[in-house]
Amino acid sequence: MSTMDSVSRFIRTRITRIVIVITLLSAVAGYFFSSPELNALNTELNLWNMNIITFTLFIGLITIYFSYSKSVSQRTTNWPFRLYALVLIAVWIVMGLYSGLYSDMYQTAFLSTKITLHIAILGQLIFFYLSAMYRTFRVKTLRTGILVIFALAMVVLNSPITLSNWSAADQISYWLLNNPGMGGARAVVLASGVGGMILAIRIFMGLEKSALRAAGG
Amino acid sequence: MILQIPLIEQITPKAGQMFNLAILILAGVLVYVAYSLAKQGRTWTIRPMEALDAIQEGIGRAAEMGRPVLMFPGIGNLQNPQTMAGLTMLGEITERGVKVNVPVNTIPSATEIVTASESIVRDAYSRAGKPELYELGKYVKWFGTDQFVYAVGGAGYILAEKPAMVVFLGYFLADVLVTGEAGSRVGALQIGGTADQSAVSLMALCCDYILMGEEIYAVTAAITEDKYQIATIAGEDWIKALLLVLMVAGVLLTAAGLKSVISFMWW
Repeated sequence: MSTMDSVSRFIRTRITRIVIVITLLSAVAGYFFSSPELNALNTELNLWNMNIITFTLFIGLITIYFSYSKSVSQRTTNWPFRLYALVLIAVWIVMGLYSGLYSDMYQTAFLSTKITLHIAILGQLIFFYLSAMYRTFRVKTLRTGILVIFALAMVVLNSPITLSNWSAADQISYWLLNNPGMGGARAVVLASGVGGMILAIRIFMGLEKSALRAAGG
Repeated sequence: MILQIPLIEQITPKAGQMFNLAILILAGVLVYVAYSLAKQGRTWTIRPMEALDAIQEGIGRAAEMGRPVLMFPGIGNLQNPQTMAGLTMLGEITERGVKVNVPVNTIPSATEIVTASESIVRDAYSRAGKPELYELGKYVKWFGTDQFVYAVGGAGYILAEKPAMVVFLGYFLADVLVTGEAGSRVGALQIGGTADQSAVSLMALCCDYILMGEEIYAVTAAITEDKYQIATIAGEDWIKALLLVLMVAGVLLTAAGLKSVISFMWW
């Protein structure tokens, strides 16, 4: 292995792990304890964190630029769309830098393109809901079966015809949401919290490899 | 009897922090104990998870059908633990796919995840002993960072490529319904996992197998078949058992008029 490779590997593995350990410990200490020194360290690391996030955005854009340019130059499948995306990215960046993000021109362009299309997809969601509900009738597991039963119960209990003809329907749906529903939801939240905490400990111990692989280590 | 629990006004920003710290330290200690036991030769087995078996089966199915596998790591960024779980799964699925000549494609949302995914996929090809097959931009597709741009791009890609299996693992919202429905249309085996409550129910609508909440973190450890990672799941179970005991004790003691557990939790 050449010296350059060794240095590169050291930066990508050891340095990444050192950064993970320092930032994790300082974030935990800054959250649980209050002292001017810890607060100052936490503020400084948060600024670094913001800088790194901004930097990764550019790294991502550079990766996309190389990937799409290669696709365009080699005329792979759907290359015109990639060229279109590259042109659009450049146009939006130039327009944002030239006129400012809060200028009328930028905001009008943003609202009349992106937001309009976004709302169009939101409007179509009901079709997907109905289609997916139909598909769910081929229940394959006990879990999905239970979910379908409760989903159907909620649909029936909250439908205007049921509510107008059966006064208890409202109370039953309220009870279902606030008792078994709430209990289940809290179980998911609590267990997810513990799972996330253990994932953080795995990363801290260097057992979770994805953090290092993401850094190329 | 009216329970004397703290009112919102009485809850200071620091209330309960020492309890949280105690749980965090205890979790660290328990995970380390489990890890040490694993180093001494102790092994744990994880209960059979249908979704995990389905992932293994799906790769074989894709090989037989000659179709690719598609993996969605969600719309979260690198700071989201669910995204980290998704990226771990991406690496494992890609490695398994490469070994049987099944291309595993992925569609990330945030631009930093594009870079991370390229790195993970390249690493998976190296681990599988086929680094020459990796090409920049061939397996990692990007359609945009917006939730529905991501969903519509993903749906279009599914309809065009017709993957044999689609795996959703990470942070999702209503976008999963758009991509999930497209996957159902092409007859793909679909496995979904997220810790977001609203998306779990949507995944149940369109996926064949689902992973709820913390299962997504457990499955990423289980699929690696690494005994040390699996040992951390044992530590997690101990913490969960302890929290369960605390909850039951809290309910019983509070009902009996004793506030010791509640006071401890607000420490």
